[in-house]
Amino acid sequence: MTLANLPSFRHLVPENILVLGILALVGLSLARRPASRRLAGAIAFLACLAALAATALTAESQPRVLFHGLLARDLFGDFFKYLGLVTTAFVILVAQRSRDAIDYRNEDREAPEFYALLLSAALAVNLMAAASDLLTAYVGLELVSVMSYILAGFTPGSRRSAEAALKYVVYGGVASGAMLYGMSLLYGLAASTDLATIGRAAATAPALPVLFAAVLCLAGFGFKIAVVPFHMWCPDVYEGAPTPVTAFLSVAPKAGGFALLLRVFGQISGHAQGLADRSPWLLVLLVVAATTMTWGNLAALGQQNLKRLLAYSSIAQAGYVLLGVAAGGVAGQEAVLFYLAVYLFISLAAFTAVAAVADSGGGESVAEYAGLGYRMPLVAFVLSVALFALTGLPPTAGFIGKYYLFAALIERGHNGGGAAFYIVAVAAVLNSVVSLYYYARVLRAMYIDSASATHQTVAVAAVHRVVLVALTVPTILLGVYWSPLRDLVHAAVGTW
Amino acid sequence: MKSQNRVVPGLLALSICSTLATLTISAGSAAATPGPRLRLEPAALTFTHAGEVREVTLRNTGTNVLRIGSTRVWHDGSGVPVFTADPLEATGLLPGQTVALHVRFVPTAATAPLPPGGAFGALLVPCDDDTLPGDPNPGGGAYIGSVALRSSQGPPLLSLIVFFPLLGIPFILLVPRGRESLTRIVALVTTAVPLGLALWMIRQFDPTVTRTAGTWGLQFVEHHGWIRGFPVEYFLGVDGLSVTMVLLTALITVIAVGASWSIPLTQHIRGYFALLLLLEVGMLGVFCALDFFLFYMFWEVMLLPMYFLIGIWGGPRKEYAAIKFFLYTLAGSVLMLLAIIALYYSSKATYLVDGTPTAHTFDMMKLAWANDFGAESPIAGFAFPRIVWLAFFVAFAIKVPVVPLHTWLPDAHVEAPTAVSVILAGVLLKMGVYGMMRVNLSILPEATHWAAQGLAVLGVVGMLYGALVAMAQTDLKRLVAYSSVSHMGYCLLGLSALTPTGLTGAVAQMFNHGTITAMMFLLVGALYDRTHTRELSQFGGVAHVMPRYATVFGLAFMASLGLPGLSGFIGEVLVFIGAFPAWQALTITAALSVIITAAYHLSAIEKVLLGPFNERWRSALAGFDLDLREAATLVPLAIIVIVLGFWPAPLLTTITATVQDLLTAVATP
Amino acid sequence: MNGLFTIGLPHYLTVSAVLFALGLITVATRRNVVAILMGVELLLNAAAINFVAFSHFVHGAVAGQVFALFIVVLAASEAVIALAIVLTLFRNFRTVDAAATATLRE
Repeated sequence: MTLANLPSFRHLVPENILVLGILALVGLSLARRPASRRLAGAIAFLACLAALAATALTAESQPRVLFHGLLARDLFGDFFKYLGLVTTAFVILVAQRSRDAIDYRNEDREAPEFYALLLSAALAVNLMAAASDLLTAYVGLELVSVMSYILAGFTPGSRRSAEAALKYVVYGGVASGAMLYGMSLLYGLAASTDLATIGRAAATAPALPVLFAAVLCLAGFGFKIAVVPFHMWCPDVYEGAPTPVTAFLSVAPKAGGFALLLRVFGQISGHAQGLADRSPWLLVLLVVAATTMTWGNLAALGQQNLKRLLAYSSIAQAGYVLLGVAAGGVAGQEAVLFYLAVYLFISLAAFTAVAAVADSGGGESVAEYAGLGYRMPLVAFVLSVALFALTGLPPTAGFIGKYYLFAALIERGHNGGGAAFYIVAVAAVLNSVVSLYYYARVLRAMYIDSASATHQTVAVAAVHRVVLVALTVPTILLGVYWSPLRDLVHAAVGTW
Repeated sequence: MKSQNRVVPGLLALSICSTLATLTISAGSAAATPGPRLRLEPAALTFTHAGEVREVTLRNTGTNVLRIGSTRVWHDGSGVPVFTADPLEATGLLPGQTVALHVRFVPTAATAPLPPGGAFGALLVPCDDDTLPGDPNPGGGAYIGSVALRSSQGPPLLSLIVFFPLLGIPFILLVPRGRESLTRIVALVTTAVPLGLALWMIRQFDPTVTRTAGTWGLQFVEHHGWIRGFPVEYFLGVDGLSVTMVLLTALITVIAVGASWSIPLTQHIRGYFALLLLLEVGMLGVFCALDFFLFYMFWEVMLLPMYFLIGIWGGPRKEYAAIKFFLYTLAGSVLMLLAIIALYYSSKATYLVDGTPTAHTFDMMKLAWANDFGAESPIAGFAFPRIVWLAFFVAFAIKVPVVPLHTWLPDAHVEAPTAVSVILAGVLLKMGVYGMMRVNLSILPEATHWAAQGLAVLGVVGMLYGALVAMAQTDLKRLVAYSSVSHMGYCLLGLSALTPTGLTGAVAQMFNHGTITAMMFLLVGALYDRTHTRELSQFGGVAHVMPRYATVFGLAFMASLGLPGLSGFIGEVLVFIGAFPAWQALTITAALSVIITAAYHLSAIEKVLLGPFNERWRSALAGFDLDLREAATLVPLAIIVIVLGFWPAPLLTTITATVQDLLTAVATP
Repeated sequence: MNGLFTIGLPHYLTVSAVLFALGLITVATRRNVVAILMGVELLLNAAAINFVAFSHFVHGAVAGQVFALFIVVLAASEAVIALAIVLTLFRNFRTVDAAATATLRE
């Protein structure tokens, strides 16, 4: 059901709330007296919560197309909006006490700017989640990217932050250029920028141009998700950016990227029914996913900087999720959505732990984390839970997420997908084992290496403690009781 | 200012959580649409005595005529009918109309007065109410409503046994600083309770129950729905095989807690006992769980505590040993996960315990008895059952351990503290063989026949290799570790024979080896606590200064080498008798290993106990013979070893019926 | 011969393809960061040409040209941000040589 412009506004309440928040923060930053970080943070946080509530309250099971086909409002998009907004809410809290994000020295002058940029990025993720046209997809992607460039370089006077931003902007520019070229070819093939029309046209168009255009588009989406070979920026940016920004980048743009991937490529390959029709596109996806998993895990083995290690780990995790996209069908898509939701909690928990340690004077390398289990027990416990969840061990939510992914793969292999899916599933589980090796190195540093020394406990900021607990509880709870999330995912996938 | 620091973040967190909660709740629910609607009251019936009759009413709460097919009663378990219902022919119910049916509970003569494992079934009502799940079996209506039927059980004994240690964890963690010795008491009490319950359970256990009695030959069954969407059930139950393992686990854990007195109180003792209790929950759960998902959860729960127990409280190379153990075991576990998922998607449509139809199942018993996987399409050219069998086998073979996947074991055993070595060798190794019997044998019989010879070869290789390497060891603990590799080879040989005696021998060997090897590790630990070395060349003549220690040491090592009259002999001889008809040449080769085993055990006894006394240890050993605590951990095991040596009947009768069932499962062509 | 001199869709597509390739080469080979950004602009404008060409020859409607306008705007904003980052880089490193900024290593 396609709506015209004015009736569509009713469905854009969450985005409007975010815009109001952004405007308020911009106004705050122009005020003569520098606003306190608490005020800016409170405005941003309330805007996020209000947008979340608005999304939940205006959600309808009937999917709609807004603005003459530019935006879609369905439960699928709403799911990703939840992911983006929850991430932003947590990151706002973490950034309150993060020195590299909002420097104490500058009298909090940057706080409203930081939060305004963050909210803009959240708004862009909303756009990406709701895109049903190439134009909206491009605008959303570009907006997220540009905001991320600025946020990555936000730490004043930091060389590595500036370098991170530079690498990000160069890679991002190339990736969006390539994606745009691919989008132009799709437009040429389908004579329309509407995703549904493109999907229909791609079914009848000659295969090679479609494949070429799809691969180019994958460059752009893959860059946002950080899959091989578009991942080069990821370790440097994750390491150089302020830690709250890294936390944001590790979840929200990925969620938006996957939303776009599912929408665009679901349309192109007809919801990807299987390798049985020997579509080269699925083969491409499987190969990319398998390479990403393996590369991410192998490259992480040698890392000493924790943020870099987590960056490679998140590249590998994106590979796992891409497997769910490749598996396709309802099971695959549900697995992707479930895993992204679970990954939100896990990844944010891990980066918040890193931020908490940095805030209390600790470093960022594995060696400096020695004895953390006894110096900062809560932080170490949360980080351990997050690492176990990333490996996929029960009873954490990470295991359930991985289970759904593997189940989707095996089900596809069993229902005629062929041996390729089984082989990839075996590769995926073996990658889990490899990932345990470098996660265990962190665990070893925290608990085992200095078990005999005496330790002085270090205080952790209240905000960080609250966020850590608020993130760990779902990680463990969803590992034993995940029906509500499952129902949410089921409703989301069913609507489109 | 400071309180504002707490309050504001706290409120913020509260608002986050509440928002998240409202989001998930408001995830959209379908509005009620009109149509025929079946309502069954009550939704579940529990019968308490034989001959009981209860009434079920079927009501049409919808707005259209509800068409009902002929109702039928379905029984979970081996299908022994104990529930009957009034026959109801196909009919139509007007809106608002009700029909009453009577359901009777009539246990048969074989199961009177109540089936030992409990009776589970459902009254199935096919109809055309489209809000209900679809009927997997054709005929009747397209959808099916169900009333769960079950016989009342006693207290949930198995759940108590499995989860009781969890109750101790908060108490241990809350022990005040400076009173750390309390943790030992709390741990001892917390582990003694499952042991007591397990002993009580053994007393109530009926060794004559087989599959024909109705609940797959299981007793103390607890079967409830857990996560309907998956569908995962909470399914615990024991048969002869698992009840011996549960008893072994409970006993070994208490002994291990007793052995943990040697861990210094300042070394994070709270964490140590908390992890030990968590490990016990995992171990007990693995032996009782009969739903694959539950089984896998308990299996994985064991990994974390073991990693930290070895890694934090272990010896000089503890980090290496811990990560090696973790990586090896995880690799096997994830392969097992894939195999579980593959079996799941190949399983036939059936009903959950409350009668809800389901397209696939995780129920191990249903997979074993109600499914044939031979007809599945091959994977990459290989037969489906064989690939899945291999995946499971690799996972269990790492645990057993089967040569060449055994390399984690010497390091883990040697570096772990004494109590953890006791648990590792006494219980964890048995899980591999248990898994092979429960999964590979029962669920994939044709692949087992295909692999039987390979199993036998691996068993013999393990026996010989373990024995030969043990002979070359200079470290006493390493020698005992390799002796475990060798002894588990016996289990594998007995398993591969697929004869009653062979399987009985394998299970007997599992139990007996558990007790014997626990004794050996305790003894090695006692010596190490005093002298801080385990080098065989350093000792000699210990019997002169520590007579009590020498007695128990001699007993344990004699039992380990299979001296007739002690329990180690029982398992070995039954395995040989059982394996000889199946693999003659291999059994004869295996008998050679007995000689080598005797050689290294006697050599160890001689090097440690006999000969001239090394005066270096006079101050460490003289007057420091086994104290009360060490004797308390060793003597119960010694008594079991001696008693079961010349009177193995209690052990063997417990497992006979289960072995029969296992062989019936494997015999399916 | 006639086909080669009548300017049609293939000509536009060729031009944009050449621009795309040139843009990729520029990004890959130049060391000056501002030059790299110029390469990125080439990439974006190649795609814009494509959109306009398809809009005229294939679609017949103006959707592609609208898209091209969006591209211009977004490319401009991206260029602004990129140059601001270059300024930050210069302030921190005192150079705009891409190879010199290698503080983030394994």
